[in-house]
Amino acid sequence: MTLTRRHLLGTAGALAGAAALGTSAEAQQRLNVGVVLIGPVGDFGWSHMHDQGRRRMAEVLGDRVNATTVESVAPPDFDRVVTQLVRTGHRLIFTTSFSYFAPTQRLAPQHPQVFFENATGPTTLPNMAIYNARFYEGRYIQGVIAARKSRSKTIGYVATFPVPEVIHAINTVMRGAWSVDPSMRVRVVWVNAWSNPAREADAARALIDQGCDVLCSHTDGPAPLQLAEQRGIFGFGQASDMTRFAPRAHLTSSVNNWGDYYAERARAVIDGTWRPTDTWGGLGSGMFRMAPWTNMTPEEVSEAERIRDAIASGRLHPFDGPITRQDGTVVIPQGGRLTDDQIRAMNYFYQGIDATIPS
Amino acid sequence: MRLILEKRAETPLAMTIASPLIAVALTLVSAAVIFLAMGQDPWAALHVYFVAPLSDSWGLQEVAVKATPLVLISVGLALCYRSNNWNIGAEGQFLVGAMAGGWLALATHGAPQGPWLLPSMLVVGAIGGALFALIPAVLKTRFGANEILTSLMLVYVAELLLDWLVRGPWRDPQGFNMPVTVTFEPEAVVPLLLEGGRLNLGTPIALLVVAIVAVLVGRTLKGFEIRLVGEAPRAARFAGFDERRLTWTVFAISGALAGLAGILEAAGTVRMLQPGISPGYGFTAIIVAFLGRLNPVGCLIAGVFLAITFIGGENAQIMLRMPLDVTRVFQGLLLFYVLACDTLLLYRPRLVRSAAA
Repeated sequence: MTLTRRHLLGTAGALAGAAALGTSAEAQQRLNVGVVLIGPVGDFGWSHMHDQGRRRMAEVLGDRVNATTVESVAPPDFDRVVTQLVRTGHRLIFTTSFSYFAPTQRLAPQHPQVFFENATGPTTLPNMAIYNARFYEGRYIQGVIAARKSRSKTIGYVATFPVPEVIHAINTVMRGAWSVDPSMRVRVVWVNAWSNPAREADAARALIDQGCDVLCSHTDGPAPLQLAEQRGIFGFGQASDMTRFAPRAHLTSSVNNWGDYYAERARAVIDGTWRPTDTWGGLGSGMFRMAPWTNMTPEEVSEAERIRDAIASGRLHPFDGPITRQDGTVVIPQGGRLTDDQIRAMNYFYQGIDATIPS
Repeated sequence: MRLILEKRAETPLAMTIASPLIAVALTLVSAAVIFLAMGQDPWAALHVYFVAPLSDSWGLQEVAVKATPLVLISVGLALCYRSNNWNIGAEGQFLVGAMAGGWLALATHGAPQGPWLLPSMLVVGAIGGALFALIPAVLKTRFGANEILTSLMLVYVAELLLDWLVRGPWRDPQGFNMPVTVTFEPEAVVPLLLEGGRLNLGTPIALLVVAIVAVLVGRTLKGFEIRLVGEAPRAARFAGFDERRLTWTVFAISGALAGLAGILEAAGTVRMLQPGISPGYGFTAIIVAFLGRLNPVGCLIAGVFLAITFIGGENAQIMLRMPLDVTRVFQGLLLFYVLACDTLLLYRPRLVRSAAA
């Protein structure tokens, strides 16, 4: 009895706190959506674009949602942030990193009335969906453009971690470059961070010194592209349109667009049609797009657009054979195609990539 | 005309205690001004920030969970700083403690375990932290190497070691190549104490440590030695105290406490090893130690206060939709005011005519 009363008093206290924050009765009708970010909103990359997605969702759904961002949430703080979001009435929570997959999986069953969505996680639960974008499609286009632009026939890739997501991205750059010129090569430097401008710049410097004259980057910020600008070579932006960081070096960027997906999922919760789906959207779904082509000739632009449209419509598939591994063995013969599961588990490099996967 | 700082002959005890409180009060006033400038009702915002985290059992437990590593580390650092040993590397000792204790959890993963496992992990974690802290201590006493530099640089060594371990030998085979270990078995996880919250055994351990260190400093010869070496090194030498052994002792204690905090965090809140296991606890604890006047009980109070500002910062993001940077600004302001108050406590500002120079 005492315990119950104390519990009730505690709840009343929390409610009083909430009331003081201006959560009026009318606002209670809205769906509260929480977005948990691994990095700062201002990284101009991954976390920034998820926050942009939250803004877009709020624009689309107007006064039907309240959206909250919590940034730079470290692993020890994740449980508390999610619990606090649940306690303050958030019913749809996006946890936007693979690092959050295991803890989201642990917390979701404790809050069965809340819908969770984990970005880039591998499996679903009854109240936990997963979502990701087929960024490799943009990598293929980057490979084609790089092969047209490069004089040294060597592309540099500032890579983050040797996870399948990054490995298959490097491979598709190689695949795209092959399609133009089979003698192209890709060099890789592992930064071992998603965001570390100093190390990203060091990696870019090392790649340029090794003769790379087009830079791809998998890290969150514009540092590698800025270095490409300084050294007078070309590069691609990552996650957001990075033209302004390198007006003379920027070729194109893969621009993430989570907003439409977030709006669709929030609407599903409001309408009661939410299901624990597994979404892997590509160029065709609008989950990302290619930013304005810059510093490219009209012929290069029309080729890039032709390939983009072919991929978006499904006529061209970046994982069509023949695909040869680094050691010379053929993984997919002519006419074959890798399955989604094979792509997600990719653990080897294609021929032409001058790097090894750290074991 | 220029401004000079003159050392005060004496500082009243009341002011020594009041100084951190004045600093906190000034921080709160500045916070209110910032909230006002951001278009928030300052009272409501201060409520969300500093009161809401304490308004129910769940919130209090979370404050305790967040404060525990800060208190444990800062109590050890306070001993170092009192005796003029500048251990800046608690972050590294924290990580080595987590790795040492975590090693035991991983080595026994999947094998039959018993109630001995967790206590052994805590002991191994503390020993790991202590040994790692002894490196800068020995470098200092043997070669006269500056311990500020060596202890700080060893932080990066520890970070990279953890990075390598979770990417290489300790990586979870089912982890999709992500840099994480397996989730610890239930026997290797610090037990929770209350329903409906995350309070775990780490908090009572931290309180016990505060009590023991308070007695050590206040009531024992060792405590006297630590204070004397810090305040009057020459007198301490005449008294026959061995400065080198003292350096080893305080580094070992503070390393052990940081290591203990590390394994408690790994086995308590995160339940696995991964990079980013510490959001800078080892560095934040330096602020805590100074805010707590290098006194164990003071560190406890300061640790709780800083934990509230962290959680309040999250609350402000969730309830007021304010950016995280506001929290960082607060913590910066707090440290600034503490240092400013201390300086004015020890020194008297005076205007002098330039002709006098």
